[in-house]
Amino acid sequence: MEYLVMECHPGYVILLDEEGRFLRAANFHYEVGQKVTDPVLMRENPSKRPSIVRMISGGVIAAAACLLILLGVRYYDNHIRPYSSIYLSINPEVQMELNKKGTVVGLEGLNEDGEQLLLGYSGKGKDKVTVADELIDRAIEMGFLSEGGQVSFSIDAPDEALFMEYGMELRTQVEEHLDGRISVTIRVISHGTETEASDSVKPTAAPETAPSTEAPTVPETAPSTEAPTMPETAPETAAPTEPPTAPETAAPTEPPTAPETAAPTRPPAPTSPPASGGDSDYHDGDTDYGPENDDDHDDGDSGYDNEDDDD
Amino acid sequence: MDNGENLIRQVYAAREDMREADRLIGAYMPFIRAETARWLKRPPVEGHDDELSIAMIAFHEAICGYSRMRGAFLKYAAMLIRSRLIDYHRQEKRHESLVSLDTPSEKDDTPIGELITDGRDHSEELAVREATRAEIEELGRNMQEFGVSLSDVADNCPKQKRTLNACQRAVRYAKEHPELLEDFLRTKRLPITKLAVGSGVEKKTLERHRSYMAALLLIYTNGYEIIRGHLAQVMREVTS
Repeated sequence: MEYLVMECHPGYVILLDEEGRFLRAANFHYEVGQKVTDPVLMRENPSKRPSIVRMISGGVIAAAACLLILLGVRYYDNHIRPYSSIYLSINPEVQMELNKKGTVVGLEGLNEDGEQLLLGYSGKGKDKVTVADELIDRAIEMGFLSEGGQVSFSIDAPDEALFMEYGMELRTQVEEHLDGRISVTIRVISHGTETEASDSVKPTAAPETAPSTEAPTVPETAPSTEAPTMPETAPETAAPTEPPTAPETAAPTEPPTAPETAAPTRPPAPTSPPASGGDSDYHDGDTDYGPENDDDHDDGDSGYDNEDDDD
Repeated sequence: MDNGENLIRQVYAAREDMREADRLIGAYMPFIRAETARWLKRPPVEGHDDELSIAMIAFHEAICGYSRMRGAFLKYAAMLIRSRLIDYHRQEKRHESLVSLDTPSEKDDTPIGELITDGRDHSEELAVREATRAEIEELGRNMQEFGVSLSDVADNCPKQKRTLNACQRAVRYAKEHPELLEDFLRTKRLPITKLAVGSGVEKKTLERHRSYMAALLLIYTNGYEIIRGHLAQVMREVTS
């Protein structure tokens, strides 16, 4: 293609090609009127300046995307993410995962019976109380729960207030649900710490206030005072007077819960009693040691400490 | 810093006004030469090294394509010059096997270019070139009356083939209707509506390429035989 040189500038020339285009090209010492065949054409602007509209629309889109993500995260946080859990155990053990609103977002059987209990049941999106009621109904139907049985709710909540709220709600509503049909024991405990908030209430009787006030004092005072003194004074010398009182109050009313609360907090003692304190007899003296506590040496050492103290 | 701001202002001014661009290129010739020398690894010889011309057009491209977002102007220009020189070098590599016309012949030191006869009449060619030049200058003067410069036209020229064809269709329509051209010359205004209706080209397209249309219509008025001759074949091709 031939180009006609139309105008010469020091830095470039303007050429007219045969198709009627006016183009800029490098000036290889051309002169106006000259026909050239092989010019080095100037390239178009590498890119146009970003237009205001595009910049604004880009900003708006980015902001919308941020908002959407934020909303998504909020929704996930409130509705989907498991925030707390309730472990229902009759014999079948079932874990209910709850979101912040107390709706069940996940159900899992923790043992074989639990899986069997959940077979063909979907509780997602239902309220925790509804699920608990339905699961208990199923348990009764399937023969897992019968008259005089026990239902335990172990609540894993991030804060105390929520734990109390869920505990009260579950207790009252499940009681209501079962009222007049079957009498079972309902227990509500905090999952992580294994401390008891309230316990062993028959549907017909026993306000929760009494046990629940009693319960916190058991784990807090008894083990904490007992534990530190144990290593030094274990065999011969007397322990403070608290230990006997703790089991005394706890043991008679709720035999199964006492070991649970006491056991984890007494690690340092186990080896010492049989070696050094074998001569002392912990069967006689105190009446508060049940037979199931006897074979447990952890409990035993505190027992004969007291005995010595009494002497 | 102040110097840099000043330069950026000059660059922005040069984009609007071609004389300003020429002045800026003139002022920064030492810079352009230095960048070329750095790439050639020897000082460029003016009038001999094509690289210098490439560097100058690259500088001009830098003026047209610069924006504040691209950083310092001189750095941008230097980068563009270097990349254009590399491109040019690659392009020229293809012709490496060819012998330059400037190579001295075997017998004496006369460049072989001067020994080769191309069968063309140089004196006649020179005369044609002179006539063409006169015609182009006449056109330039005429265009000034319409308030259009060749640089404007180069900026305003349709880039896409489709748009170019549309503009040419409008020009052909005007050519077939001489009264439109006369109207154009008399009023010095483009009869865009008539052209759009007559040729079926969108009015918006013609308006966008107003300067270009003015230049082409002017070429198709009177005189400008040589320029028209240069364009004629294409016009025919498109018509057929």
